Amino acid sequence: MSHDNRESGGMAGARFVDPKILARIGNLELLARTVVDGFINGLHRAPFFGASIDFAEHRGYVAGDDIRRVDWRLYARTDRYYIKQYEADTNTNVSVLMDVSRSMKFASNGVSKLEYGSYLGACLGYLATRQRDRVGIITFDEDIVDHIPPSAKHFQQVLYTLDRAKAERPGHLSAPLRKMAEHFKRRGILLLISDFYDEPDSILEAIKPLRFLGNDLIVFHVLDPQEINFDYKDASSFEDLESREQIPVVPDSFREQYRALIKEHINGLTTRFSEQRIDYTVINTAEPLDKALFSYLGSREKMARVR
Amino acid sequence: MSFLAPLFFLGLAAIAIPILVHLIQREKKNVIEFPSLMFVQRIPYQSVRRRRIRHWFLLLMRAAAIVLIALAFARPFLPQRAAAAVAAIGGNRELVIMLDRSASMGYGDHWQRATAAARDAMGSIGANDKATLILFDWNTEVAVAATSDRGRLESAVGAAKPSAAATRYGPPLKQAETILLQSSLQRREAVLISDFQKSGWVGAEDVHFSDSMRLTPVAIRSDKMANIAVPSATFARSTFSNQERVTVTAGVANKASETAAGVPVTLEVEGQSIANQSVNIGANASASVTFDQFTLADPASRGVVKAGTDKLPIDNSFYFVLTPSQSVSALIIDSGGTEDASFFVSRALGIGNAPTFRQETVPAGRASPPLLDRRSVVILNDTTLPPGLAGGELKRFVERGGGLLVIVGPHTQWPASEAELLPGKFGTVIDRPGRGATLGYRDYSHPAFEIFKPTRSGDWSAVRFQKYRFLELEKGPSNRLLASFDDGAPFAAEKRIGTGRVIVMTSPMYDETWNDLHKKGGVFLPLIHRTVSYLGRYEQAADWRIVGDTVDLAAKSKQDRAIVTPSNERRTMRSNDPGTLELSEQGIYEIRTTAAGTGRPERIAVNVDPVESDLSILDPQELVALVTGHATESASQGVQSTPQELPAAEAERRQGLWWYVLLIGLLLLTTEMVVANYLSQRERFL
Repeated sequence: MSHDNRESGGMAGARFVDPKILARIGNLELLARTVVDGFINGLHRAPFFGASIDFAEHRGYVAGDDIRRVDWRLYARTDRYYIKQYEADTNTNVSVLMDVSRSMKFASNGVSKLEYGSYLGACLGYLATRQRDRVGIITFDEDIVDHIPPSAKHFQQVLYTLDRAKAERPGHLSAPLRKMAEHFKRRGILLLISDFYDEPDSILEAIKPLRFLGNDLIVFHVLDPQEINFDYKDASSFEDLESREQIPVVPDSFREQYRALIKEHINGLTTRFSEQRIDYTVINTAEPLDKALFSYLGSREKMARVR
Repeated sequence: MSFLAPLFFLGLAAIAIPILVHLIQREKKNVIEFPSLMFVQRIPYQSVRRRRIRHWFLLLMRAAAIVLIALAFARPFLPQRAAAAVAAIGGNRELVIMLDRSASMGYGDHWQRATAAARDAMGSIGANDKATLILFDWNTEVAVAATSDRGRLESAVGAAKPSAAATRYGPPLKQAETILLQSSLQRREAVLISDFQKSGWVGAEDVHFSDSMRLTPVAIRSDKMANIAVPSATFARSTFSNQERVTVTAGVANKASETAAGVPVTLEVEGQSIANQSVNIGANASASVTFDQFTLADPASRGVVKAGTDKLPIDNSFYFVLTPSQSVSALIIDSGGTEDASFFVSRALGIGNAPTFRQETVPAGRASPPLLDRRSVVILNDTTLPPGLAGGELKRFVERGGGLLVIVGPHTQWPASEAELLPGKFGTVIDRPGRGATLGYRDYSHPAFEIFKPTRSGDWSAVRFQKYRFLELEKGPSNRLLASFDDGAPFAAEKRIGTGRVIVMTSPMYDETWNDLHKKGGVFLPLIHRTVSYLGRYEQAADWRIVGDTVDLAAKSKQDRAIVTPSNERRTMRSNDPGTLELSEQGIYEIRTTAAGTGRPERIAVNVDPVESDLSILDPQELVALVTGHATESASQGVQSTPQELPAAEAERRQGLWWYVLLIGLLLLTTEMVVANYLSQRERFL
């Protein structure tokens, strides 16, 4: 089946990655395969990494290096100890950190941010599984909700967790992310999917601990088109999904200010994340998933060069 | 600022409607769930507040419009003095001031306050206005006809004083209506200054002020009004040892809400106090006081019963004049037969003392002219014309004022020469066997039959006539049919000759073969008494009269008379004057015939109408409503001492502020609608 998709995916990839159409596919695994295979077939170069044994370079032996990795042939020629280094010397852990706070259930175009995040998580999980990476997931709101540790066999559980995730409680980044940071014992790729309703500095403070072990953090800022454009017509009472607070709003006299504020917020996050060398991608739920996938693959490629 | 219909302020509750609508709309309006209001809250608060202020403005406009509309319906006006209103409005005015001067206005300081109110009303007239002063009690007097001369009006008010007469509102109001109706001035107003006694308004007065006329009542009242009055007295007479003795019983009324204890009641006769008593009278109750008998010595004894003291002294005295009972002297002439034809008539006349009948029965053969001396009435009872009285003797007796009763029977024969004494010619005896005849017609307007007019006053249907003599009644101004049988034949007829009277009855009053009238005491006795009293010109002088009554002095004799009123005012009434005396004062009137010189004066006691003692109040509003068809406010002198103000309805009508207020309210509402519509289109919110 995947073969068929691979054959036809180049033609129909764009069609399958439309979030509204994806929403009709009940099976997350099928959805992920459809998206990822279609997406990869469309690429000019298959970016397969995995467990590579390709030689990269030599470096000098330092005390503590495993003597098994000493290049004895080179020692014989130069009488010096060199260590052989390979690219991607091991498979990595990929953890999807999924924000399931109540604000994530917002949907203005039929696909909520949570659903979109789930598709994204599923696709990234599938992609990772295909690269022989270990996949795990942590869902959180104001606390950790579900935790599936990364494993080569946990893809189905990841999909199951995403499938039953419900945005029911108000959320907060710092507390659950701090807990997660304490939990990660091995460096890996962390895919943080959230709508980031907090001050950029606070968000950065909350995220920092995740990078302590040298984790590669990829941040997906999921936003609904209305959150970006604020394209409402009638004056209404707007209710905060998290705090349930209501404020009367006249959108016409309000839109420009709002757009400026959200833009400023995104810019603020972009600046701060880039300063911290964190991959940051704003994702509009009305747009196809490929943008997110490119972002991931780009990041994974960099990860592969890590020695 | 006052309001004519303040109840309409309840409409202010409608202010809640736009607020509720506002709230409901807010509740009902679309609520959009948004992930986070983090950025919304950051938008400067001013923009939100500005929107809110704009909405509050709309709400305030709606509320203000409702307030103004409610205010308009409450009919606001600024209280204005009458004079100020006149100055403000302009236009000449016809003013009729009706000042009550009835006896009850003598209560306390009511009269002073009433005259002050009248002067106050006069003070409002301008140079081009006209004012008429009407003084009224039972009668109505235009004291000053339409004038602008305030001095004349004030002097007329100064000269006026409370009378002893009762109150009657109808005539002065009618007079005022006529004056106002005939006036050509723009504004027509009447002021009624009175204590508004309920007894003064009978409700049937045909007075209707038109819409262009205004009636302002000025009520003169006092708190807790109390009045002791002697409204009546009765006099029981008895004869003892040829002397007439009288027992006086006086009624004393307490028109107050509190019991009057130990009210002294005094009986004075001829200026001498002859008895004193004390009586307790409950609140709004009356008591009777009976004094000991006294002998009536003087032919016209003056007396007075006095009870207590209060703020209205005029009705605390009750005057009376007691005259000895008069008698009627009757000469009964019968045929002198064995039937004793005069038995029943004679016995009937022997009963009663008002009047007492002095009678003598003689047979026709013995009747002679000297017997007619000092006789008031001659009764020819079933007999022929006495030979001794033939030749015009009886006619002359009648012409001098005597009375002749001819009772026809089997023995009656009447010579043609004396036919002019009778109201008609005798015919044959009509025989009505079986059930007999009954009376089919009785002239109740005649004093002889007047007593039978009320129902159950004499059962004439039980009287049966088997025989009667037909009388062919002659037509003429002096002849009058008094009663007739069911076949139309006369039973009784009268003829006036000179100052005397002749009555003929066509069936006897002793013979059962003719009728059973003499056995029916219920009709026989009053018929004989009334007929003989009428023929004998008996008239019991009234012991007392009430103020406002008139007496015809010329009815007895046409002579010059000197009249002394209770206030010692002397008047002379000439013989050629109408001879009618109106009794306008309380007390004893004395009337002397100037020709007699030394003769005893005739005395007439006059008292205040008992209804005037009842100080119960008629609501001035009610009276105004009855007269004008719409109510207005009164200026109660007892309650407020402020100068007279225009009635609220009139002030409101003249100012017409409600139009402006309503207009502003509607304009505001329209503006609000336009603004709200504009905002609604602009914001798609409202």
